[in-house]
Amino acid sequence: MQPPMGNERPPSATPGRPVSAFVPGAGLAPPPPFGAAAPRAPFVPPGAPPPQVAAFPAAPFAAAAPAAVPGYRGPPPQQGPFGAGPPQQGPFASRPPPQGPFASAPSQQSPFATAPPPQSPFSSAPPPQGPFASAPPPFRPPPSLAQPQSPTGSAMAPPSAYVRPPSIQSQPPPMQGYYSGPPPANTQFQMSRPAFQQPVQTMPPPPMGPSATFGNQAAYPITGPPTGATLQSLVEDFQSLSVSSAPGSLDPGVDVKGLPRPLDGDEEPVKVLEAFPLNCHPRFFRLTTHAIPASQSLVSRWHLPLGVVVHPLAESPDGEVPVVNFGTAGVIRCRRCRTYVNPYATFTDAGRKWRCNLCTLLNDVPGEYFCALDASGRRYDTDQRPELSKGTIEFVAPTEYMVRPPMPPSYFFLIDVSVSAVRSGLLEVVAKTIKSCLDDLPGFPRTQIGFLTFDSTLHFHNFKSSLSQPQMMVVADLDDVFLPLPDDLLVNLVDSRHVVESFLDSLPNMFQDNVNVESALGPALKAAFMVMGQIGGKLLVFQSTLPSLGIGRLRLRGDDVRAYGTDKEHTLRVPEDTFYKQMAAEFTKNQIAVDIFSFSDKYCDIASLGSLAKYTGGQVYYYPSFQAVTHGNKLKHELSRDLTRETAWESVMRIRCGKGVRFTTYHGHFMLRSTDLLALPAVDSDKAFAMQFSLEETLMTTQTVYFQLALLYTSSSGERRIRVHTAAAPVVTDLSEMYRQADTGAIVSLLSRIAVENSLSDKLDSVRQQLQLKLVRSLKEYRNLYAVQHRIGGRLIYPESLRFLPLYILSICKCLALRGGYADVSLDERCAAGFSMMILPVKRLLNFIYPSLYRVDEVLVTEPDRINGSLKRLPLTLQCLDTGGIYLLDDGFTFIVWLGRMLAPELVNNILGVSLANFPDLSKIQLRECDNEYSRNFMKVVRTLREKDPSCYQLSRVVRQGEQPREGFLLLSNLVEDQIAGTSSYMDWILQIHRQTQS
Amino acid sequence: MVFVWLTAFFLIVALIVLVIYQLMCLADLEFDYINPFDSSSRINKVVMPEFVLQAALTVLFLLSGHWAMFLLSAPIVYYNYTLYERRQHLVDVTEIFNHLGREKKRRIFKIVGLIILLFLSLFWMIWSVLLEEDE
Repeated sequence: MQPPMGNERPPSATPGRPVSAFVPGAGLAPPPPFGAAAPRAPFVPPGAPPPQVAAFPAAPFAAAAPAAVPGYRGPPPQQGPFGAGPPQQGPFASRPPPQGPFASAPSQQSPFATAPPPQSPFSSAPPPQGPFASAPPPFRPPPSLAQPQSPTGSAMAPPSAYVRPPSIQSQPPPMQGYYSGPPPANTQFQMSRPAFQQPVQTMPPPPMGPSATFGNQAAYPITGPPTGATLQSLVEDFQSLSVSSAPGSLDPGVDVKGLPRPLDGDEEPVKVLEAFPLNCHPRFFRLTTHAIPASQSLVSRWHLPLGVVVHPLAESPDGEVPVVNFGTAGVIRCRRCRTYVNPYATFTDAGRKWRCNLCTLLNDVPGEYFCALDASGRRYDTDQRPELSKGTIEFVAPTEYMVRPPMPPSYFFLIDVSVSAVRSGLLEVVAKTIKSCLDDLPGFPRTQIGFLTFDSTLHFHNFKSSLSQPQMMVVADLDDVFLPLPDDLLVNLVDSRHVVESFLDSLPNMFQDNVNVESALGPALKAAFMVMGQIGGKLLVFQSTLPSLGIGRLRLRGDDVRAYGTDKEHTLRVPEDTFYKQMAAEFTKNQIAVDIFSFSDKYCDIASLGSLAKYTGGQVYYYPSFQAVTHGNKLKHELSRDLTRETAWESVMRIRCGKGVRFTTYHGHFMLRSTDLLALPAVDSDKAFAMQFSLEETLMTTQTVYFQLALLYTSSSGERRIRVHTAAAPVVTDLSEMYRQADTGAIVSLLSRIAVENSLSDKLDSVRQQLQLKLVRSLKEYRNLYAVQHRIGGRLIYPESLRFLPLYILSICKCLALRGGYADVSLDERCAAGFSMMILPVKRLLNFIYPSLYRVDEVLVTEPDRINGSLKRLPLTLQCLDTGGIYLLDDGFTFIVWLGRMLAPELVNNILGVSLANFPDLSKIQLRECDNEYSRNFMKVVRTLREKDPSCYQLSRVVRQGEQPREGFLLLSNLVEDQIAGTSSYMDWILQIHRQTQS
Repeated sequence: MVFVWLTAFFLIVALIVLVIYQLMCLADLEFDYINPFDSSSRINKVVMPEFVLQAALTVLFLLSGHWAMFLLSAPIVYYNYTLYERRQHLVDVTEIFNHLGREKKRRIFKIVGLIILLFLSLFWMIWSVLLEEDE
């Protein structure tokens, strides 16, 4: 008999998602052929070659097993016989180990990846092994934790009865690095009983698991005990971490290495697309939980934010977004709620009417759009019409959607030419970069361009196309700014190309001898407003000192130490002068987006300047102590990206949703034009937005809630377009379902934005406490769902979907914007980081708060084309750093290259290109390609990492081990799992959270 | 004495009109009848006149020796003063939607206080008219 190989499905069930034992929907099994007691039989075809070979290719867990956390579960006594049975006879023979209900950590965590995973148990163990022999921990618990620990629970069968101690050879080499303990003496215990594992015999037979209402609940096939059916639901319900210490032991009882870590970065919740294939891709639209609570009472038990992170212009995962032109029919929209026609709209009355899925109003179908319906009520042309079959679509907007003719893309540069800008070499980099981008500016041939330079006076430049050289006109009256020319200050690039180029060539020399230290930014902004007001466009401000003259001058207030820790602390993080906010409002009204490039080496009040970007859909770039030599490349790359990326102009964005739900607050860089309309003078693919919603009624009556995000914009080519993303989410009545569908990335993104906003009106300390409180409350609520039934003492339990949440919250608390107090981060850096966090898409945000750490020196000797695959992320803790290694930390904005103390000097010299002994100041060092293999490979690594994300260019900074204080603020403060200056380490944090969830 | 009460009465009516006007602007904004730029500039235009009138009313009560009325209207002046000190007296066009609830609540409380003052001054006006007639 050939047993059904039903379990082949799961590996493909969740593509792109780390294989985890608890993915609902993975492992949908056919009815077990041998009844409930033998669900595992399909894995072992009778008469097959040795089971370790036969079992693997088919098993969904094949991928998980080598890296799996030891999920050894003590078998209930009645299972004894199977332990000794030969594999062919025992259906349990190929039971993959990590599937116990308490398999604590997700399987892909092998945090200390420097150690190679041990050999696959199934291939090394001889066939006649019992089921539990195949449960070796893939990585070794740390030696200190591997000490034999007496089980706190009730009697556990001696491990040797079930477990064959694996051979010593299969052990990974001892850990290197700061941490080097002696090799453990007791390997048997270590293998058979991982430190964080508790005997499960303490568990009562589980009662019925909570009922799940959502459709894709999967029966997990791996449940050994005869009571399997009920345990199944339990298995996928939650995960837990043991945090109980053994009596009389100093050991806190947490396995540091087994803690969940997001080493694969962001996980897009693509499985949503399986349940709702007509939804837009999660990259555009991510709900914090893809299950809308049905009642107000359920909302109050969900302590995390309820909202969505949208990224309207994200790069489409499946190529181009289809464009639809309705022509004379006009854009098909609902009469009442103005929803655009979408895949969830239903057609009735033989195709003459369509029902809006948001407000259920019956609308007429225009004659031009009519199509007959088939027997199932579906239009015959559904597949030909992308707007009826795709969640993401772009409509060409007719003239009703324009208040004026579509504007040309226009760029206006406001450049500070005071002495610090000249000395740092800023002018030269800016002029060269702009010149190199002139060909790639979007919107050829309509693009407009203009320049205004300023120090204590304003210099206007006339680019009239008939001139051969630009004319400069100086206006010294700062109190009453006027334009010396009515036009020709903002000119068509094609017509005046030669004038603009000759201006950019001469710009660095023009102000070479300028010794003016003043900066009249306020009047310059007013002047720019007068120039651009008619058209709109993008205003790029290059500011290298604190604005000191005219309206909008700012004080040096950042170093007021006395304000820190008091109730006035937050005022340092909000704009001091209302001028900037008013200016921002005026800019938005006239469709001008402001990007701030700030270069000061001293305090320059990013908090005030940034508000210009905040309310105009702009962005803040901050280069502290800018020097052209070191920062030039970064500025060059980011400025060209800003100028050449595809930009949507004069846009407005609105999100509509079905009855019963209402969007309340919005987070990001935009200005609200009415309660739910976001005005975005310019928006591009690097900006994401977050919004929160609440329930309007106490009880939801619908089964599904639909969301539709619409962005109306002018493309660079001068076409008015509407980009529409549609998504549906089920309404649930069950809290556990909300937890199951939770999306950590979206939650973290929303929480961090809320935290940054709160830091503008509250002390940093209380902002961090609020974050912690939210986490504790949600985990406590979750605990209450299960703890009563299952009496789980000494365990922190959490849903599989939120396994990284505690670490991410800890990382938010330690991120640049919210970390520590006065001395830890300079005020400007803090504010700049805060502005960045408000616009970052989920993936980049997660990488920013939990940076990637790679070990590079091992990669340098591999072949160049295999570099990408061989870079493995490491946990952010000092224990991962080996004194003989080179490590690279990438937070999306900077690369920090850490050189261990024991590195061979010639290797270092080869990479850096200079002799380390003669070059003590590493802060000035430049990483560039030298003529040797190490350097070439190293630069290849750097390039590979940079290519992953074109929206930012990471500045490389080199630091040597023990080089204080640079090592401290560059690297050590980014190691979020360690205890730094009064903050908790990851383990303490887990213990703390656990204590608080219990009280 | 009647003259004082009459002046006070008109001052209070003017104040109530100003505050109701602000409330209307906020309500219009909420229901999307006007845009935030117009709404906030309209509101900000009448904020300072309102504060001045309120102060004038209080001074009038103080000078005419109506201590009870003075004590009733003084808190509003003090509240206005603290708002001015913290530079929160004007609505912020960029954040107006986030502050909508707060701004409305402030003005509703204000209007309740003003209506109480209105009735009291009406009462005292009639009382003093009757007293004068008796004499």
